Amino acid sequence: MHYLSGLRAHPVLWRVLAAVVGAYVFCWGEVALCVVSFTALGMGFEDAEHLASMLTMLTYLVLFLWAFAASSLVRVWGVLAGGGAVMAALASLLQWQLVA
Amino acid sequence: MFQNFRLSMAWVHTWFGLVLGFVLMICFFFGALSVFDREIDRWAIPASRFAPQPMPSFDKLLRPVFEDMQPNKESLDYLRSRVDGPLPSYFSTVHSWAAYTTHRDPVLGIYAEWEVPKVRNEDDTAWGNSTIDPRTGMLLPDDQLKIGSQFFYPMHYGLHLTWHGLGYWIVGLAALVMLAALVSGVVMHRKIFREFFTFRPQKATQRSVLDLHNLSGVLALPFHFFFAFTGLVIFASIYFPVAETQLKPLHELHEKLEEKTTGLPHERSRLAAPLASVDAMVAEAQRRWEAKGMAGEVGYLSVSHVGAANSYVSIYRAGTDRIALVGDGIHFKASTGQLLREDPPRTTPDSLNTFLTGLHLQHFRHWLLRWLYVLGGLLGCVCIATGFIFFVEKRKKQHAKTGSQGSRVVDALAVTTVTGMLIATLTILIANRVLPEFLPVGWPARGDLEFYLFWAGWLLAMAHAFVRSAPVAQGQLNPAWREQCWAVAGMAVAAVLLNWITTGDHLIRTVFTHTYWPVAGVDLFLLASAALAALATRMLTARMKAFKPKLSQPQTEELAHA
Amino acid sequence: MHDVLLLTASVLTGVTGMAWLALAMEVHWAQVCRQPLPANAVLRLRILGGAALLASLVLCLLVDHASMAALVWVMALTAGALTVALLLTWRPHWLVWLAWGAGVKKQF
Repeated sequence: MHYLSGLRAHPVLWRVLAAVVGAYVFCWGEVALCVVSFTALGMGFEDAEHLASMLTMLTYLVLFLWAFAASSLVRVWGVLAGGGAVMAALASLLQWQLVA
Repeated sequence: MFQNFRLSMAWVHTWFGLVLGFVLMICFFFGALSVFDREIDRWAIPASRFAPQPMPSFDKLLRPVFEDMQPNKESLDYLRSRVDGPLPSYFSTVHSWAAYTTHRDPVLGIYAEWEVPKVRNEDDTAWGNSTIDPRTGMLLPDDQLKIGSQFFYPMHYGLHLTWHGLGYWIVGLAALVMLAALVSGVVMHRKIFREFFTFRPQKATQRSVLDLHNLSGVLALPFHFFFAFTGLVIFASIYFPVAETQLKPLHELHEKLEEKTTGLPHERSRLAAPLASVDAMVAEAQRRWEAKGMAGEVGYLSVSHVGAANSYVSIYRAGTDRIALVGDGIHFKASTGQLLREDPPRTTPDSLNTFLTGLHLQHFRHWLLRWLYVLGGLLGCVCIATGFIFFVEKRKKQHAKTGSQGSRVVDALAVTTVTGMLIATLTILIANRVLPEFLPVGWPARGDLEFYLFWAGWLLAMAHAFVRSAPVAQGQLNPAWREQCWAVAGMAVAAVLLNWITTGDHLIRTVFTHTYWPVAGVDLFLLASAALAALATRMLTARMKAFKPKLSQPQTEELAHA
Repeated sequence: MHDVLLLTASVLTGVTGMAWLALAMEVHWAQVCRQPLPANAVLRLRILGGAALLASLVLCLLVDHASMAALVWVMALTAGALTVALLLTWRPHWLVWLAWGAGVKKQF
């Protein structure tokens, strides 16, 4: 399995990328989904932005450390990239419903 | 990749701490100096050494100054490529005027934005700013650098790296890594409560340096955590610009809703109208605050859509006695002075955000807390610096045996970031006093020269640190530490003397006869730094003379894993 | 002036509280008193230390409103702990009167 051997050859690099870039993707999705959800629940847009930022910065910290502590790097990438994409997609879907 | 959780955290702490530590030193040091940024401005610009002033009369003093303003050169340069056609020679349609002051500002910063004809992106505006003496309305020359608020302060959040906001992103990553380093540090530090008060300078270098690293990290842990965290929250919209991109439709929908609920229009109306007495509006705003039991000064005043029929004036109360920067906004119709809106009390998320932001930006009046913030910032610097020193101490003997240059490079970079940074700071302060008031035509502005000399000073210090670093590759101390400490002590005293010689404001005058604490404070801080640097020089000289024999004490697990 | 006195008192009680908490640890008690720490003294020192820290908070609250006071208190505790740590390293005998002030019997 070629991609796994590439992963094994540079484990440090992939961990660092997961912690910095992968976690960022997850956090983007989190901010987007939080902002849309909070505004849907009646919060002002700026209030939603601020609250989402506070929560997400803490999430970023946790994910950053988890990327190094986790045993399975594949699982880490799955959660970070996959979770981020799903949350971002949900955010856009919800936004389309609110704006339309 | 790692056998257990603790080992993974130790790896993160060591390597991310090392790489981003260089950036974090800058953030913590210049952040600490920024607590007294306005006071440093007073030291750097002697013409502004007078008492803080309240917001002056808009009608009599500010309005003529605003009406004379035009966009800054930087703004015009930026816009040239963003318009279809040439830029006008005179900008007449004013988008907004604004002025902001705190209890520490003698001079007043004013700011204006203009509409740009034929601009491609309708959100782009031309901007300009000035500093005036609020007692007279006279403009301060714009070639002077406010070393505190325009140099040290932006340095700590952006490294003066403005290309595509790169500095913001690097500092942001550093802040995240700071949080990670704090958490991983706690995980690694098993004896966190037992060694809470422990500092053993008499023991071997590795142990005593690690003690100091732990002490400065743990004792100020709430401070370090909150400042890194709030820094990230303050710039969150830069790091996750969701509202301008993916959620732009939702953002615009809410802007329209907000317009309806607040009655404050977003777009300028085509009809013109004159501006009524703003002073009367300010008086009314202050009357209303007093009626609510919170009498206060004006912190922020702005006029939006200047000259249009739907123009409005917004007046905010200075947060001198609060954590929030400004609050209790009251908005008036500009042409009549009629009340449009009194801002309602903050919602819970808004209060929380304002608290976190205000905690970091500290525009409140509390001198004890300010000095405690400086202590926290300097403890952060000690934590990072001792981290570097521990890294080198732990590896240099090994590297000496294997012939690796790793410790040498890290040590030279550490000298650059610790004492080198102090030398650069003192260089700009000395340059500020030594450069002539009026420079020959064709030379860069005085402020720009000071800026270049700062970086030149730092580069020289770095070169010195590397050139002198050969002993580290033999497992010994880099003499550059001691030599740069000497330089710091000498330069700090020189800065104080130069202030006396060039302005006549010596310490007897600024402390006793014509008391002026901003300048006295800077001079005293410089002298205290000189004393500490001299003490450090003595200690380093003693250490270098007595070559320490290797102590055969068993290494604790913590030392091994660090 | 009133505020200055209250804040000074707050800082001093903070230092005192931290000192008592430090003295409740065997190694620091030994540094200061050069005698072993009696077992019954540990709890007393911890309670006194905690009470002093609480008093420090109350004094802060008398000067500023809650959100400001909380910040002042946390930072003052940092300064207090640092002071105690440095005193224990370089001038431990300065803390002797605090040790005996906790009512621990002196052993000759």
